[in-house]
Amino acid sequence: MARHFHPRSNHIARVLVLGAPLLAGLIGFCIWQLQQSPYATAQDVYVDQPVPFSHEHHVKGLGVDCRYCHTSVSDSSFAGIPPTKTCMTCHSQLWTNAGLLQPVRDSWQQDKPIQWNRVHRLPDYVFFNHEIHVNKGVGCSTCHGPVDEMPLMRQHSTLQMGWCLDCHRNPEKNLRPRDEAFNMKYTFPANQAEVGKDLAERYHVRSVRELTDCTTCHR
Amino acid sequence: MHDQNDPIELDEQPLRAWDEFAPDADEMPELADGLTRRSFMQRMAASMALAGLAGAGCNDRPTDEKIVPYVQAPEGVQPGKPVIFASAMPLNGYGKGVLVTSREGRPIKIEGNPQHPSTLGGTDVFLQASILDIYDPARSQTPTRAGTGVDASTFWAALGARLETLSKVDGEGLRFLSGTITSPSLIDLIQSVQRKYPKARWHTYDPMDRANRRAGNVLAFGKPLSVHFDLKPARVILSLDSDFLFDDLASLRYAREFMNARRVRVSQLEMNRLYVAESTFSITGSMADHRLPIRPANVAMLAQAIAAEIGVAGVSAVGLDAASARWVKAVAEDLKSQKGTSLIVVGESQPPVVHALAMAINEALGNLGKTVLLSESTEFGVGDASRSLKSLADDMTGGKVDTLLILGGNPAMNAPAEVDFAGALRAMSTDRQTDDSSSHFTAHLGVYSNETAFLCQWHLPEAHYLEAWGDVRAHDGTATIIQPLISPLYGGQSIAEFLGRLIGQVQANGYEIVRSYWQKAAGTKDFEGWWQATLNTGVVAGSASSLISASCGKPDLSNLQGSANPAAIDIVFRPDYSVWDGTFAGNTWLMECPRPFSKLVWDNAALLDPATATRLGLAGDDVVKVTVRNQSAELPVALLPGLPDGVITLHLGYGRGPRRSNTTDTGLGDTHGVNVYPIRFSDASGFSANVDVARTGKAYKLVRTHNHHAMGGPTTPTTSSGKALKPHAIVTPQTSEAEKEVGNRRLVRVVSLGEFKAQPKIVEELGGEREKRPLLSLYPEWDYSKGYQWGMSIDQTACMGCNACLVACQAENNIPVVGKDQVEKQREMHWIRIDDYFDSASESPLVVHQPVPCQHCENASCEYVCPVGATSHSAEGLNQMTYNRCVGTRYCSNNCAYKVRRFNFFDFNIHRETPQQKMLANPEVTVRTRGVMEKCTYCVQRIQNTRIEAEVALVNIEERIRALSDENQKTAMREEGRKREHEIVEGMQTACQQACPTQAIVFGSILNVGGQPTKVKTLKDEPLDYTLLRELTTKPRTSYMARVRNPNPALEGAHSRGEA
Repeated sequence: MARHFHPRSNHIARVLVLGAPLLAGLIGFCIWQLQQSPYATAQDVYVDQPVPFSHEHHVKGLGVDCRYCHTSVSDSSFAGIPPTKTCMTCHSQLWTNAGLLQPVRDSWQQDKPIQWNRVHRLPDYVFFNHEIHVNKGVGCSTCHGPVDEMPLMRQHSTLQMGWCLDCHRNPEKNLRPRDEAFNMKYTFPANQAEVGKDLAERYHVRSVRELTDCTTCHR
Repeated sequence: MHDQNDPIELDEQPLRAWDEFAPDADEMPELADGLTRRSFMQRMAASMALAGLAGAGCNDRPTDEKIVPYVQAPEGVQPGKPVIFASAMPLNGYGKGVLVTSREGRPIKIEGNPQHPSTLGGTDVFLQASILDIYDPARSQTPTRAGTGVDASTFWAALGARLETLSKVDGEGLRFLSGTITSPSLIDLIQSVQRKYPKARWHTYDPMDRANRRAGNVLAFGKPLSVHFDLKPARVILSLDSDFLFDDLASLRYAREFMNARRVRVSQLEMNRLYVAESTFSITGSMADHRLPIRPANVAMLAQAIAAEIGVAGVSAVGLDAASARWVKAVAEDLKSQKGTSLIVVGESQPPVVHALAMAINEALGNLGKTVLLSESTEFGVGDASRSLKSLADDMTGGKVDTLLILGGNPAMNAPAEVDFAGALRAMSTDRQTDDSSSHFTAHLGVYSNETAFLCQWHLPEAHYLEAWGDVRAHDGTATIIQPLISPLYGGQSIAEFLGRLIGQVQANGYEIVRSYWQKAAGTKDFEGWWQATLNTGVVAGSASSLISASCGKPDLSNLQGSANPAAIDIVFRPDYSVWDGTFAGNTWLMECPRPFSKLVWDNAALLDPATATRLGLAGDDVVKVTVRNQSAELPVALLPGLPDGVITLHLGYGRGPRRSNTTDTGLGDTHGVNVYPIRFSDASGFSANVDVARTGKAYKLVRTHNHHAMGGPTTPTTSSGKALKPHAIVTPQTSEAEKEVGNRRLVRVVSLGEFKAQPKIVEELGGEREKRPLLSLYPEWDYSKGYQWGMSIDQTACMGCNACLVACQAENNIPVVGKDQVEKQREMHWIRIDDYFDSASESPLVVHQPVPCQHCENASCEYVCPVGATSHSAEGLNQMTYNRCVGTRYCSNNCAYKVRRFNFFDFNIHRETPQQKMLANPEVTVRTRGVMEKCTYCVQRIQNTRIEAEVALVNIEERIRALSDENQKTAMREEGRKREHEIVEGMQTACQQACPTQAIVFGSILNVGGQPTKVKTLKDEPLDYTLLRELTTKPRTSYMARVRNPNPALEGAHSRGEA
């Protein structure tokens, strides 16, 4: 019977048996890495704005509270972006000639809103609600990071579903007393495991099964 | 595919999937630019490969989305939270109070205003669907002259020149034509117009103007009084061809009051009794305890016989056939036993003399002032014949009309058959192409550029009621200020603004007009406070007309004559359950809403009884020619059991002319159905006896949904008509054992009040042995003993099949319309369907309406078969559907016993094309794309918002408790917390529940909330409660309450169940 394969084929076959899964694994690994890289998630990417508003300056430098501008954070799904009037409460008196603030003054004079570029964007089928998080002891910095260190706003977290679930599966890790919610410098205590458990009970944080129900976020 | 109009027997259709995998089932004919799905997929495959190479496939990074805050935030608006405004929807001149939800300035949902006397918080399909009309791209968007767009100033310059000439002759030749008007500020404005142009004349015409009732009241009381009813005390109600639960000005109120006196609970074993003698099959008729199908002309004889039996002075007995005579006797006895607590209502289709006769009977029974309430009419120019459309048309033909301003409406389409208004208007507008020197001037102000606009020289866009200030009165005279929710999207103006400008008011804006009127009328020092309070509540306090007492004259019955010829064919005209008088003919939600009973979509038809059809040699879809006094209309036949023999029902409002618009919304742009106004004469506006009906030999494809999503087993043997409307599913205590076993799945259980009293457990008994078997499951049981556990109870005694829930659901949940072709393939997307079950095709079948949303089974069969976990169970008992996981296998739908899942075969939302249409979507609900399954979610967006509200309130209260030291205070506070939680959670309503005028749907937690039982828990504990297909062990969270009837013992027995 004539040989169908050259003896060399055995080596090729051996290499393939080992190499093909490795190659597939490598490709898979690359895709996996890529989809959670900032390239795909926009994590840590600074976004240009019509006015280069510095949270660092306003929060850390001047001590302005989050809620001074994001007024509806504790009672609406949407934290709120300040109307031009909020800017003008100070900037009608301060830095009235600053070139950087020209768009703010234009907006005020022409009654045309400033169009900010969105930094944190969730897919349309995700329904996030600020109100319930803030009221149950999830602080701003838990998701938004050290905003007081950001001269321009960037997205601190991946905002991927896995990241949401990390917390929804272990909410105790990230709970703090409600009155600390807006404290940018809050550090979790060493015994956070116990404190978090107590807080979860105190704020009626629902069971993991409930928190991970699909309809909690998707409707 | 099987023939949809030859309703399928289930045993011929073993698999529902046959429909889904039919040839061409995946080809969408109207897909853009001729792409079929397959060719689209081929091209996509290629482009995806390219995209993959470029590496762009995995980047879903947000692009340049903007956030646009206010410059100055308005007071009371919080981004992310809805704002609700009270207003009113005018229809045929009368208002129904509404609460309109606005999201970031966009009105998106309408509910009834609980404080408004005409709605009491309920809604009908029209209120629900009117939100769609504001965004309709087919609305008129620009002033036109002879069909070409012009600037509004051109129009006003031309009209101004005209008016200058007219003012020299006191307005001789100036005519206005509008619909019925009750708006106080508008009436005031009209009087100003008349002062300025004393010889100008104002005509009103409304195809639904209730002229017969008014004329009847003139016969009875000598003047056109306004009549409405109080159904709360009424124990026995007789409807003579009246559909008072649907087409009256206060139907929503009547439905609520009627059902409240009809709910049977362990603690309430009393119910009212309804007799209906009618010439069609109406919603009211389906609620009747005893229904008598009768020729329309014979209703008068029946009324006379009842009057004679009751002893109304001057009414002599009349000869009736034995069955009717027995019916009359029993009804009269029942009425006599309830003096002062009975009621006779006559339908608008009946001639004035019947209305007068009914008033005489009501008076003899002592009902006037108790169940029948009289007040002075609030309509402008009521009962003045010189204001009629006919006198206008005569004057137009006689050359007496110089300038005609048509304010709203569409008389060219819906004028009575004998009035050739369109012809007269065309003649006047012949020189519509010429310049300003033309001898006539005709203009139309309308929301749509309709047939009338087409015949006028000028047309101006009118503002939708959610776009302009105004006011309107309800059935009882209560006024409501109409608040606009949004600036006119297409630059329209209201009638008041038009008139204000016409008489040269400087401030001719609606706000000033309405405000300045009420500043005078309110008579209060603190007007600002009054104004705010009035806008807030949605009703002008104390504005209801005062009730008056009057007594009837002796009815003149000399002209009464019945229809004796049994071979004759009569026709009955009714406003349509979806398009009303034609006002909503462009509304796709309503067009696709299956009409009660007939389950027709997108068309009207000549409805007739199977027996009559057999006699005439007609079958469904045959086109017949109906001729009345030389005018004829051709329309297809649809069969419907329960109509009186020899009577054809025709619904008005269809067959609107080409709308000359470029809308691409599903199916629009063409006409739908057939206009039957051309055969409706004003002296026979309700019915025409003895008409000619001829076969044309043509056929027309009607689409009916009655067999869609059927969940019954095999049907009973086919009925005499050869048609079974839904698989036989009704069980009553009279159902024979044999019949119960022949595949009857006992979906609908019907008992009489007497049977229920005698044996409270009867509903369970009706379920048979299966009902008592333990529910065993191979799967481990979930723990449902904590937290909120959502459930729903649907009361089939109260459901009247009006479809309000269906349209409300469509509005709330961004449900698309799919078009007639797709409905034919059983692809309608409605998350709740109303199954109408007929117990037989007998002369007067018992009909039960069963709304079926997702049952949210605790052991849901859909969940086990999903390969990707897209449908799963929540800890609170919700059957969750996660769209972004769904890959479209449709196994879930296949495995669902209740057939409540809907699949997006196409991207039906591509029809939301214009920016305005996109504004309508509810931002709380995902807009689904092609290839995903969807279904009722129990309005999970509302649940989540409610829960967030409750949880935040609870946590806030508990934080306050922690700060307290006094134990008593703590206990009191805890109690307050529990109450607050109960209040918030019980306050949550699903969209269907909120819309339901009769409160047939109740939703809530089936566990106690805040330590107190909930409404839905209480209902589920009632012995009338049962679940559908219990034997499948699905444990649905939605349960039903059996239909309870209250038959008169004197009429039971002679007929089989359900019959007269």
